Amino acid sequence: MSPDPTAPTSHAHSAPGVRVRGLTVVYKTPMGELPAVSNVDLTLAPGTITGVVGESGSGKSTLALCLLNAVQPPGRIAAGSVEIDGLGDVVELGGEELRRARGRHVGYVFQAAQNSLNPLKTIGKQLLDLGRSHGVADLRALVRDAKDLLARMGMDGARVLDSYQHELSGGMRQRVGIMLALVLNARVVVLDEPTTALDMITQATILRIVREVHDERGLTTLVITHDVGAVAEVADDLAVMYGGRVVEHGPVKEVLGDPRHPYTQGLIRAIPRLSGDIGEARALPGRPPTLGTLPAAGCVFRERCDRRMDVCDTVEPVALTRDGRTVACHAAAEDADRRLTAARRKEFA
Amino acid sequence: MTATLRVRARSKTSPTSSASPKAVVRRVAGHVARGLVMIWVVATISFVIIREIPGDPVRGQYESLIQKGMSPEQAERATAVLYGFLPTGSLWEQYLGYMNSLLHFDLGRSLSTPGVEVTTLIGSAARWTVLPVLAGTLLSFLLGVIMGVYAAIKRSGRLGDVLALSGSLLHGVPVYVIGLLLTAIFATLWPIMPSGGPVDVEHVPGLNPGYLGSLAHHAVLPVVTYTLASYGGWILAMKSNVVAVLGDDFILAAELRGLKRGIVFRYIARNAILPLFTILALSIGMLFGGSIFIEQIFNYPGLGLLLVGSISSRDYALMGGTFLVITIGIVVANIVADLLYTAIDPRVRSGGSA
Ligand SMILES: Nc1ncnc2c1ncn2[C@@H]1O[C@H](COP(=O)(O)OP(=O)(O)O)[C@@H](O)[C@H]1O
Ligand code: SF4
Ligand SMILES: [Mg+2]
Repeated sequence: MSPDPTAPTSHAHSAPGVRVRGLTVVYKTPMGELPAVSNVDLTLAPGTITGVVGESGSGKSTLALCLLNAVQPPGRIAAGSVEIDGLGDVVELGGEELRRARGRHVGYVFQAAQNSLNPLKTIGKQLLDLGRSHGVADLRALVRDAKDLLARMGMDGARVLDSYQHELSGGMRQRVGIMLALVLNARVVVLDEPTTALDMITQATILRIVREVHDERGLTTLVITHDVGAVAEVADDLAVMYGGRVVEHGPVKEVLGDPRHPYTQGLIRAIPRLSGDIGEARALPGRPPTLGTLPAAGCVFRERCDRRMDVCDTVEPVALTRDGRTVACHAAAEDADRRLTAARRKEFA
Repeated sequence: MTATLRVRARSKTSPTSSASPKAVVRRVAGHVARGLVMIWVVATISFVIIREIPGDPVRGQYESLIQKGMSPEQAERATAVLYGFLPTGSLWEQYLGYMNSLLHFDLGRSLSTPGVEVTTLIGSAARWTVLPVLAGTLLSFLLGVIMGVYAAIKRSGRLGDVLALSGSLLHGVPVYVIGLLLTAIFATLWPIMPSGGPVDVEHVPGLNPGYLGSLAHHAVLPVVTYTLASYGGWILAMKSNVVAVLGDDFILAAELRGLKRGIVFRYIARNAILPLFTILALSIGMLFGGSIFIEQIFNYPGLGLLLVGSISSRDYALMGGTFLVITIGIVVANIVADLLYTAIDPRVRSGGSA
C-alpha cells in the first residue's frame, strides 16, 4: 500500500505545487502577539502527499489554515507568502477571489470535521449550497459524484445526503467533511486530522481512499495528524513540526527510517509500531511548549533535547537542506558535516 | 472492511430521516391534554372564587332579587343566567352546572355592565388588545432580530456598542415609564398624538378612511410603547445567539468551503433565530392578557383594562371569563410554539438527542 514516490501518477504533471516561504503567524494574547508559526519554509511537490506531524499545539492547524488564508482572529499572518500554482500568493488574496479559491482550488477538511455541518440542513442541501456557491452548472452530476465518494468511504450515499448532521455518527460526519472537500475537484487538498473520530481500521481505510483519490485526480495533498504511524502509510513526504517550526522535512521513508532531528528521533522512539519493539518504546520526556513558554532565542526544543549544546541556548538553528532532507538543528548540522568529512576522507584514502 | 463499515453506517442512521409524524402527534396530544387540565384548573378556581368569596355574591344576588319581589324560581333563573349556575343546590350540583355552561361557551353575564354576556364583553375588548399588542410584538421582534444581527456582527465597533446599549437600556425600563414618557412628549409637550382612547368618536365605525385613520392614529403610541418595551429583550437575545453561532465550527467550515456570503449569512441567521421563535409564539399567547399598564395609560379598552375593571367592581363572572380566555391563549400558544419548533428544527422533529 505504501506509495512509490518514484512513480509519478498520470496526472502529476498538472498537479499544482505549493510553496510556503518565510511564513509567520501570530496570535494576540494578553502577553502581546506571539508566534504560533515562525518563519516556516515548506514546499509541497506537485502530485505528492505531505504528512505533517507534531504534538498538539505545534502549529499544524495554523499552518494548514494559511493555505486558505483563513487564520482566524485573534491570529494573523504577520509575514511570508503561500504560493499555489494557478492561484498565486494566497496571502495576498481577499474578498470574492479568496472565497472562490476556497473549496474550488483548495479543499479543506476541518480539524473538527464532526462539527463542520449546519445542523438545520440536510447534507444534500448543504452540498447544493456548495455547488451553487461555486457556480457548478450540473448539480445532478455533483450529487452523483458526492454519492460515489460516500460509497467509497463505506456509506450509503443517498441516505447520507438525506440525513441531518445529528443523524450521523462522528465518524460519518468526518467522512462527509472529506467528501465535501473532494467533491468540487479541488487540486490542493488539506486534511487537518481527518480521522480523529474514527477507529484504527476505519482510519486506515479512509486514508487509503484519500490516497486513491489523490492518485486518480493528480492532487497535491497535505495531511495533518499526530499519528505518525497512520501518515507513514500514505504520505510521500513528512514534515515534523515543533513549537511553530518545521524542524525536519523529507521523504517519509527516509525521515522515519533515519530521523536526523532529535525531536523526530524522540517521536519515533515513542511509537512501538515504528520503533520495532514495544519494550523499546519510550515516551518523549517533558511537555510541548505553549505560545507563552516558547523561548525567544535559541532552539525551541532545547528543554527536552538530549543533545543540547551551548550554542542551542542562544542561536536558533536554521533549516539546512542536504540531499533532499531538511533539518533545523545544530547537532544534526554537525552530524552532516561529520558525514561529509568522513566521506571525503574515504575518497582521499 | 467495506462491508463492516456499511453495516455501521446503516445502524447509525435512523430509519427515516424525515419527521416521524407519530412522535409529533404524541407530543401535541400531550400538550392538548396538559392544556385542558390547565383550563379546567383555572375554571375551577374561578368557580371557587365566585362561590366561596366572603359575602357569597351568588347567594347575595339571589336573595336581593327575592327581596325585590321576584319569586324564588324567577330569582333562581335570573341568578343562574348571571353566573352560569344555580344559586341553590349542593356545591357539587352548582359546580357541574357551571362546567356544563362553560362547555357551551356560556361564561355568564356581567354585573358591572348589567345584562351583557361576558363573552360579548371579552370579544369586544379582545379587538383592542389583540391588534395593537400583536403589531407591537411582531414589530419589536423584527426590529430586535435585525438589530441583534447587526449588533453581533459589528460588536467590536461603535455601532455594535450603541445597539447593545440601546437594548440593555430599553430592556431595563419598565413599560409604564416608556408609556408615560411617550404620552408626555407626543401628547402633551408636542401634541401630535391623541392622548388616549382607541378612536375619535366623531367617526362612523366601518371601513371608511376617517375611521381607519383615526384608529391607526390612536394605535401609534400604544404600539410604539409595546415595541420599545419588548425590543430590548429581542435585540439582546438575538445578539447573543448570533455571537454564539458565529463561534460555531460549522460557520468557519462553511467559509473554508467558499460558500457565498449570503448563504453563510442564512446559516447564521437561521440557527440564531430558531430559539427566538418559541419565545415569540409564547409572547403572542400572552398577549390576551394585554398589557394592563399600556391600556391604562392610553385608556385603551382592551382585555387588561377589562380584567382590572372586573376585579375592582367585583364582577366575578367577568373576572373568571377573562382569566379563562387568557389561559386559553397561553395554552394554544404553547401548542403552536411546539409545532413551530418541530417544523423548523430537524433535531426536534426526529426526536434526536443531538
Ligand atoms: N485563537 C487562538 N488564540 C490564541 N492562541 C491560539 C489560538 N489558536 C491557536 N493558538 C495557539 O497557537 C498554537 C498552535 O495552535 P494550532 O495551530 O492549533 O496547533 P496544532 O494544530 O498543532 O495543535 C498553540 O499554542 C495554540 O495555543
Ligand atoms: S538545536 Fe540543539 S537543542 Fe535544538 S534540537 Fe538540535 S541539538 Fe537539540
Ligand atoms: Mg490542530
